[in-house]
Amino acid sequence: MAGELSGSSRRHVALRLLRRRLVQALPLMLGVVVINFVLIHLAPGSFLELMTAENQVSDPATVELLRKTYGLTDPLWLQLLKYIWALLHLDFGFSYRQNMPVIDAIAINLPATLLLMISSIALAFAVGVAAGVVASAKVRTLWDSLVSVVAMFFFAAPSFWLGIMMIVLFAVKLGWLPVGGMETIGGGGGIVDILRHLLLPTLALGLFYAAIYARVMRSSMLEVSQLDFVRTARAKGLSRRQVTLHHVLRNALLPVVTILGVQMGTVLGGSVVIESVFSWPGVGSLLFDSVSSRNYPVVLGIMVLGALVVIAANIAVDLVYMWLDPRIEIR
Amino acid sequence: MSERFAFLGRFARNRGALAGAVIIGLVALAALLAPVFFPTDPLRIVAAPELWPGEDPAFPLGTDSLGRDILSMLVHGARATLLIGLFASAMATVIGIGVGATAGYFGGWIDEAAMRSAELFQTIPNLIFVLTIVVILGSTLQNIVIAIGIVSWTPIARMTRAEFLALRDREFVQACRTMGMGNLGIIVGEILPNALPPVIVLSSLVVAGAVLFESAVSFLGLGDPNIASWGRLVGDGRQLIRSSWYISAIPGLAIMVTVLCLNLIGDGLNDALNPKLRDR
Repeated sequence: MAGELSGSSRRHVALRLLRRRLVQALPLMLGVVVINFVLIHLAPGSFLELMTAENQVSDPATVELLRKTYGLTDPLWLQLLKYIWALLHLDFGFSYRQNMPVIDAIAINLPATLLLMISSIALAFAVGVAAGVVASAKVRTLWDSLVSVVAMFFFAAPSFWLGIMMIVLFAVKLGWLPVGGMETIGGGGGIVDILRHLLLPTLALGLFYAAIYARVMRSSMLEVSQLDFVRTARAKGLSRRQVTLHHVLRNALLPVVTILGVQMGTVLGGSVVIESVFSWPGVGSLLFDSVSSRNYPVVLGIMVLGALVVIAANIAVDLVYMWLDPRIEIR
Repeated sequence: MSERFAFLGRFARNRGALAGAVIIGLVALAALLAPVFFPTDPLRIVAAPELWPGEDPAFPLGTDSLGRDILSMLVHGARATLLIGLFASAMATVIGIGVGATAGYFGGWIDEAAMRSAELFQTIPNLIFVLTIVVILGSTLQNIVIAIGIVSWTPIARMTRAEFLALRDREFVQACRTMGMGNLGIIVGEILPNALPPVIVLSSLVVAGAVLFESAVSFLGLGDPNIASWGRLVGDGRQLIRSSWYISAIPGLAIMVTVLCLNLIGDGLNDALNPKLRDR
């Protein structure tokens, strides 16, 4: 029985899975880089034109020198190869707006975005799973309908609008929570202060996913509870509560974990909008600034690092999946 | 014919779906008749700024920060919202069916390549990709449709592929092959009609997703500047949430109701087209 594997061989299987996923990630990353590189070079004006215009450089010799420095005189395929080669050395290029390497500009903003993403997913998972379990335990009762109706609304509400409405209610009218930002300017910065700033953005981003997880969890619980092993567990004399918590729940979580992995990229995209609503100092704000100023090295860098975050999260999800269901074979 | 009635009957039995269809019908009607009800440019200034809803009976939903009629902008904005949703979903469906059908029918390395590219598009954070495409190609209606279509096709491709995998070796397909029918004829004429029901359900849900995408793009100020789309109205109202929060609240509510109804229609289609799956 796979479930009786010893601890060390479980670890061995996990390591093999990890190695395999890392190998699979390489062509995926390459694809992400190529697609985005080509897309960005479809753009009509280069960032150089904007940069020279902003800094009022008009001397043709200087412009030519800049073109050479940024490698814009090379054919596209050579630029691409050079970019990939540089990426392998963690060199994402230079951002003239922030006047620092792209990787540093992103690194400054990344922790805030990761914090927002992780707290939103955690909230979505906790609320969604709990709501789904309640709805399935009280199926076809008032509780079940209540969960469905509330989930339906949060599944349809645009996150940015939900965010603004919560700001109106909890920050402007009631004054309980701050309007935006990550910490109080002057005299802020403690953990409690950051958590108070984090609460509304987390709700705005996370409730949409909570709605999805609640629906999936409900139907998954109902499906699993009809399986044979559940009847066996009941026949052994375990209470309904024990069976639900120890047997059904663990198996019913599998589809929720799967969609959680698939949606990582969506959550990262959603955080861009939420960061704009709450002036959250994350990658979204940087992206927005870079997109509007056509600072393409940064846009490209965010795409590549974003894809990396998604891939890493997916590998983590795979490991959780294996832990939840030891029967899973490695593909 | 009677089958069509049976389909309509099953759809109408789902009361939520029926209500959703009626409301979406009304929204579409309002969008169609917008120039009749509000013949002047909705972006024209017509009254004092920041009139609250109900304050002046001539402007039942009030006016925005510049004194433009919110109801007029809302009705005109319905056109952009619904059109973008429909066309983006149509585009995603065409790409998704094309990729999924080819992958599922031919299998082998074609399947492998198609599924890896679907994975690729799921790895790129979708909204970031949409924003970049729109900025690079320019903020026009077509480009927003293209961008949303490009990020939304993967679930449809996966579903189509799964259906094709299940159907490609069935007897009726083998019979067509023996008769010497070409691959294209079998894919389009024989397998696709049988694979379509779950795909239709999925693309109806993509419409709802596309409406949300579009609203986020125009909320961030990257939408078509000549169109009063709902997302942009929410964004315009942001500066005034202390004094006049209704300016953001009303168009956002319109987005939510529309998306909600589209989802209800999707559920109803699911019930009507896949009766076997109804209690799942």
